[in-house]
Formats: sequence, structure tokens, C-alpha cells
Amino acid sequence: MTTPLLELRALAGGYEPVQIFQNVSLTMSADTSIGLFGPNGHGKTTLLRTVSGIIDPWRGDILFQGEQMNRPGERGSRRFRNFNYDAVTRRRMNPKRVARAGLIHVPQGNLLFPEMTVEETLSVAPAASAGRARPKDMLEQVHTLFPRVHERRHHKIRFLSGGERQMVAIGAGLMAAPKLLILDEPTLGLSPKLRHELSAAIRTIKSSGVPLIVVDQDVEFLQSLIDTLYLFDHGSISRKIEQAEMPSHAEIMAMLFGEHPA
Amino acid sequence: MSADTLLFVITGGLVLGALYALMATGLAVVWTTLGIFNFAHGAFIAAGAYIAWQISSAEASGLGYAAGALGSVVGMFFVGVACYALLVKPFERQPNLVLLSVITTLAGASVLESGIDILWGSRSKQLPRIVDGDVSLAGVTISANEAVLMVFVLVILTVLGLFLRRAPAGRAMRAVAQNRESAQLMGLDVPRLYAIAFGLSAALAAFAGVFVGSIRFMTPTMGSDPLMKALIVVIFGGVARFTSPIFAAFIVGLIEAFATFYAGLYWAPAVLFAIMIVVLIIKPEGLFGKYQRTVQ
Repeated sequence: MTTPLLELRALAGGYEPVQIFQNVSLTMSADTSIGLFGPNGHGKTTLLRTVSGIIDPWRGDILFQGEQMNRPGERGSRRFRNFNYDAVTRRRMNPKRVARAGLIHVPQGNLLFPEMTVEETLSVAPAASAGRARPKDMLEQVHTLFPRVHERRHHKIRFLSGGERQMVAIGAGLMAAPKLLILDEPTLGLSPKLRHELSAAIRTIKSSGVPLIVVDQDVEFLQSLIDTLYLFDHGSISRKIEQAEMPSHAEIMAMLFGEHPA
Repeated sequence: MSADTLLFVITGGLVLGALYALMATGLAVVWTTLGIFNFAHGAFIAAGAYIAWQISSAEASGLGYAAGALGSVVGMFFVGVACYALLVKPFERQPNLVLLSVITTLAGASVLESGIDILWGSRSKQLPRIVDGDVSLAGVTISANEAVLMVFVLVILTVLGLFLRRAPAGRAMRAVAQNRESAQLMGLDVPRLYAIAFGLSAALAAFAGVFVGSIRFMTPTMGSDPLMKALIVVIFGGVARFTSPIFAAFIVGLIEAFATFYAGLYWAPAVLFAIMIVVLIIKPEGLFGKYQRTVQ
């Protein structure tokens, strides 16, 4: 059996002192893409932030290409509220190591670097590529995928529209030559036209062979993109749905919130 | 006032401005990258001057001015990195980092100053001048030492500006400053870049110390007055661009020179503060606007 691309084993985590998600286990292979769907405020973003190492997991394991990304074991007790545990404990994750291994996370509502130009931003991004690809080739790919990014390359990020910023964010993700690209609500707050444009671009990225983990509120969009859908509510995966038996939006709503009273 | 006196005051102000620009830029590098004010910056200036004295002075190692300056800058880079590791890093993930770092850097300043006092004693020392004699340009005569100093400051600041704008490490530092989390997700080594920013700031302080030490007497607390002026510069000018504290530094230097001439040495800081307060009432973000820090 080949090693899975990403494997989460009984992962739990949150923000001190509140635990946000628990017992999340999933396995994905390198030739699939998965989607996460669930109500707002139930921990999808926190889970992804843990996977990419921004915050430390409390329990469980994160394996990327068979390699353990977190220091194994359970995090120590943090009983004393006023004690600076950061001074005496080591971090359990290293976001730099995760990114350089090829797990690239494009966060939700990414603000990027407001005072830097698009070009400068894209020139910083290959830091995580660890020599997997030539920055020049990647830049060309980003420019073909998002002509807008090329047009706006001398503008500062803070003068870009939300859609353009999202394009730069995804472009910066691609510059790192990802082996797995996590997109957290890439179409959040965009107009239908831009959303259409962006989802087409994301489909192109997928067909170029980059596995994706996508969080989105649009089930139809997810259906067209992914092989497995995980329903996520109350801080854990409540259901795994394969592409073949993909239900409609209404059915999913019924699974999450119960049947609509007649 | 005669034209000669006017030129004399202006050149004095420009020399002060160049020194303040160096110090304020050092402060601004840490302020824009880590979001904290480093109150140990004044002590860094003193420590830089004393290290340079130890290496260069005939009474100590006697290796000459250039060796002293180089040793001091390199040495202070590592002192800066150590100070970051001890004074700031343990609190990095605390929500009240800004307040905590005020106290820890003040403590660091006090420890450094006392350390200098113990090591070198409180007797005033002076670094040798870089060059002796005077230079004349377009009818203005200033000491060659001050002229060389100003040229050095401009070169150092230009190199630093180019580094931040063009070099990958400089761009990465700006990226980390503007959005730490995105920078982390892009695989940038945030703790290392923070350490570099602190080290760079301390190296700039060492340059400032080496220059101040050659025009004034050195004492363990020689950095506290320049630190206060550098704070005024950073608040007065804002840090919207790399160049804003530099312009502000020259404005502050000139104001100080004129205030000293007209109102006397003791009134100069009062005049400076009064002008700063008026400016802040009208433009609360400083003369050139504030750096746009992101919400996250």
C-alpha cells in the first residue's frame, strides 16, 4: 500500500483554554481532492490552522507523506491560567517545516502583505518550494492562470479588490510548488461572476495534478471539484461522502440540521 | 543673524539629523517588524561605542578605528540577537506583548548600562576621530570628521533601504512585519527573521554609538538622550515608509540646532516636545502617516 498524502489521527486542538475540535481522523491519497463542508464557527478553519502548524495540536498525529509533522504525544497540562507556558514548553509544530514539505495553506480572507506589491509578494512565496520548481516557471503558470495578477503586478496589495487579492493569495500558494494545497473558503465574499472565474481557475489547478483540500459553502462547486466530501460540525467529522453518492444541497442541510419541518 | 552663523547652525543640525536618522531607523526596523519599541536601543548605542573603544583605543587593544567599528557592529548584531532571545521571544505569543516588552527591554537597558559601568568604569572615554582637519564646500567649512560621518550615515541607510526592498531576506522581513501568519504559511522562518531584525537594529545602534563616541564623550548612559530623540523622530515622522523617519530625523535635528541657538541648550528639548505635540494634534499619525499594520 502506498503511503497516504495526508493522514490525521484522532486530532484535537483549539485555542487556549477552549478546545475547538476533537477526534478528527482522515486519510487522503495523492490522487484525490477532498472538501470540508459545515456550518460557520464549528472549527473547520481552526482544524486547518492546526494542520498547517499555525497553532499546536492538543492530541493526535499529523502525517504528511508518511512523515510525522507534530511532536507526538499529548500536550502537557496547562492548569495555571496565569503561567507563561510558552516560555517553558517547546512548540509542537513548525509551520516552516510543514510549508517546505509542500503542504501549502491559503488561509481564509487572506490579507497578505498590504504594503508590498503583487510582484514582491510572489517573489517571497517560493520560500516554501524548497527547490521543487523554478520560480520563473511557477510565475509563468500563475500569470497564465490569473491574467489579472499579471496586469496588477506593480500595485500594492492593499489597493487590490477582494477577488484580485484572493487570486494573488492562491497564486502565492502555487509559487510554492505545493504537493497539497489547502484553500479555506476561496470564494468567500466574492461576486457571482468572480466566483465563477475563480472556481474555473481552481478546477484548472486541480486538473494540473495538485491535490486540494477545499472548504466552501457552495456544495455544487465542491461537487464539481472533489472526490470525497467530509461533513464537519460540532468540532468533528460527522460524515464522509464519496463522489458517487453526493447528495444535493438540501439533503446535506438535512443531515447537518435535521429534517425541515413540513 | 549673519549668514555664517546660519550656515553653522544648519550644518550642526544636519549632523545631528544624520545621527538621529541612524538611531531612529534602527528603532523603526524593530518597531515595524515586531511591533514593539525596543527601549534597550540606547544601551545598544553605548555598548557599541564601548566595544569599539575596547578594540580601537590605544589604551586597550589598539587595533585602529576601522577594526573597532567593524568589531562593534558585528558584535552588537549578536548582542541584539541574544537580547531578542532573552527579552522578547519568551513573550511572543502573549496578547500583551507590547506592554511586557516595554518592561523587559527597559530591564535589558538597565542591565547593559550597569554591565558597561562594571566592565569599563564610569570615567568618560572618547573614540578617536575618523579623520582630522576641516573640509570646505561652497563656502561652508565643517570638520572633516562630521562630513565623513554624514556620508557614512547616508551610505548605510541607502544600503539598508536597498536590502529591505530588493534582497530576498529583506523582502521576507517586510512580509513578516505586515502579516506574520501569511508569512509563516509561506514557509518563511519567522523566529529567525525576527532575530535578524533585532540584530540589524542593534548593528545600526553600534554604528550610531561609534559615530557619537567620536564626537562626544562616552558614558554608560550616553544612549538615553539619543534614544529619546529617536523616539521623538519615530513618533513625529511616523514609519509609513522607510524614508519617513529619516526625513523626520533631519527636521528634528534642525529644530534642535535652532532651538539650542535661540533658546539655549536647556530649552531645546522643551521646544522639541512642544513642536511634536502640536504636530501630533494636527496629524496624529505623524508627519508622513503611520505604517499600515494589518489586523491579523
